[in-house]
Amino acid sequence: MLPFIIIAIAIFSGFYMAWNIGANDVANSMSTAVGAKAITLRQALIIAAILNFLGAVLVGKHVTETIKGKIVDVALMNPHSIMLGFLSALISAGLFVTLSTWKELPVSTTHAIIGGITGFGLIEGGLSVIKWSKLMEVVLSWIISPIAGAFLSFLIFRIIVKTIFSAEKPLKSAKNLSPFFIGLTIFIIFLSIFMKTRIGEILSYGTVEYIIISFLFGAIAGGIGYAIFRKVKGKGYEIVERLFKRLQVMTSCYVAFSHGANDVANAIAPLAVVFMIAWKEIDAMYLLAFGGIGIAIGIVTWGYKVIRTVGGRITILTNTRGFSVDFGAATVVLIASKLGLPISTSHTVVGAVIGVGLARGLDAIDLAVIKKIVYSWLFTLPATIVTSILIYMGLGIIF
Amino acid sequence: MPYRAPAEGVYRKKSPFHGLLEHMNKVRECISLLKEGVMKYFDGDFENFHKVAEKVSEIEHEADLIKGNIRAHLPRSVLMPVDKRYFLWLLREQDAILDHAENLAQLLDLRHTKIPEELKESFKKHMNLVAETVEEMERAIQNVKDLLETSFVKREREETKKYIHNVHRKEWEADQLRYEITAKIYEIEEKLSPMDEYHLLKIVDWIDDIADHAENVVDWLRAMIAK
Repeated sequence: MLPFIIIAIAIFSGFYMAWNIGANDVANSMSTAVGAKAITLRQALIIAAILNFLGAVLVGKHVTETIKGKIVDVALMNPHSIMLGFLSALISAGLFVTLSTWKELPVSTTHAIIGGITGFGLIEGGLSVIKWSKLMEVVLSWIISPIAGAFLSFLIFRIIVKTIFSAEKPLKSAKNLSPFFIGLTIFIIFLSIFMKTRIGEILSYGTVEYIIISFLFGAIAGGIGYAIFRKVKGKGYEIVERLFKRLQVMTSCYVAFSHGANDVANAIAPLAVVFMIAWKEIDAMYLLAFGGIGIAIGIVTWGYKVIRTVGGRITILTNTRGFSVDFGAATVVLIASKLGLPISTSHTVVGAVIGVGLARGLDAIDLAVIKKIVYSWLFTLPATIVTSILIYMGLGIIF
Repeated sequence: MPYRAPAEGVYRKKSPFHGLLEHMNKVRECISLLKEGVMKYFDGDFENFHKVAEKVSEIEHEADLIKGNIRAHLPRSVLMPVDKRYFLWLLREQDAILDHAENLAQLLDLRHTKIPEELKESFKKHMNLVAETVEEMERAIQNVKDLLETSFVKREREETKKYIHNVHRKEWEADQLRYEITAKIYEIEEKLSPMDEYHLLKIVDWIDDIADHAENVVDWLRAMIAK
């Protein structure tokens, strides 16, 4: 009876966390496209729901492994404590994210769940069970990911400036360059799907073959893009922006896919641990799908409110800038997912915005807001560690 | 409960450059109005000038509000594609054009000074040159939009520099003419009452001030767009 109740609570909390991820985090990644009027709210919802789900199911596994076993040493504790511990991590992270959304604090769901796991690990096993080297690696990746996002978006924006805006005929250059961007995106996505995922295992080809296949997909997509963009006509920089508006539909998909891939683990990794101890090991695919559905429901039930408000405001993020931010951030997040690094999508997006700003692409960036974000970032770990400990002690009394 | 994406708070919703262009539009409106009024004034139509002076004051006040708004909403720590200090100096000089336009309009309105027949054409030509200087400055400022869009590519910087160069040329021409007019005023001073002479000198000086500040604006602009 007892495991059954715990499983029920775990399913509920896991769903709650996934819902939180969909409700809160998605807005950060989709708002640039909606704000720049590249896609409508309805399109954003459909894209976000479907591609988050796909990203979660196809690439989400690596990050899940990291959160499951590499933050605390599960071998050093008894299964019952571990089960309750991951449950409290899930609940504390979920509560913290909801509270932060309500308080308008820009926190990361990734940081929250890692704080939660660290919290119960500390109280149950002490300092020795925490895998400090792995935790440091994760913390480092939080610092590196915004910098990487900034670097990549800086680079992409400079490429756009050098090859399009500096060119004799900006529109012509834009037409020639955009298929290349489309091809590159498709190439990276397919490579992620093929390498080390179930699909890749089923097909069982070698790395070189996958690179070639992904390249072919990329080339085909680029060709289609070229055929579509060829017809665009007009004068001035405005038409270049309008071309990038269409490209942003693609990068929105890219962002949503990467987001699902990296962030689904925050909800389902603890769930997987609880299932394994209380019942049996569940196929990761089912759990990833469950998390993906939770995120999709979060997007549709609550996330749309965030996106709608953002989209309704006039922003100074034009399409070329939005494209650079999206492309840079999504690439960093996807690569991190491949490496099994749980990073924050929100912070990578913030980093990418700064990158475009440093490339003289934005009229004004408020550094005070960035300071505030960094503070809330530092605040997340201690806060979730403490709440996780409290919930863990509470659960210990009940069960 | 407000809904907001935190990452979106990083970049400002309202660009300071939009404010600058809005302020520039006030300068455009004001100087073209002033020019029309002053031309009629030089022809001896003093009656309608009061309205012009009032309107100039009104525009100057509106522009002041825009200027204040830009300054108030520019955070201490802000990342801009140009040096913030240069931007603020430019804004200040652009606003100085309006201050001087207002002073001139009020001076003309307070004392109706008749322009001697032999000076009329030169006065008109001078006013025209000054207005043209401001117009060239407006073109230079207007090009900031393209500079920002392209992230300051060479082609747009060269175009801006072209307008800046035109401002310098027009301002120099205006200076030359002011010198000539001043010399002529002294030449015919026997015929003028001391108060008339004083006011004629003052009018030509104050009109010229407007061009000086337009030149200052583009000087800061030049510094702003330097690599």
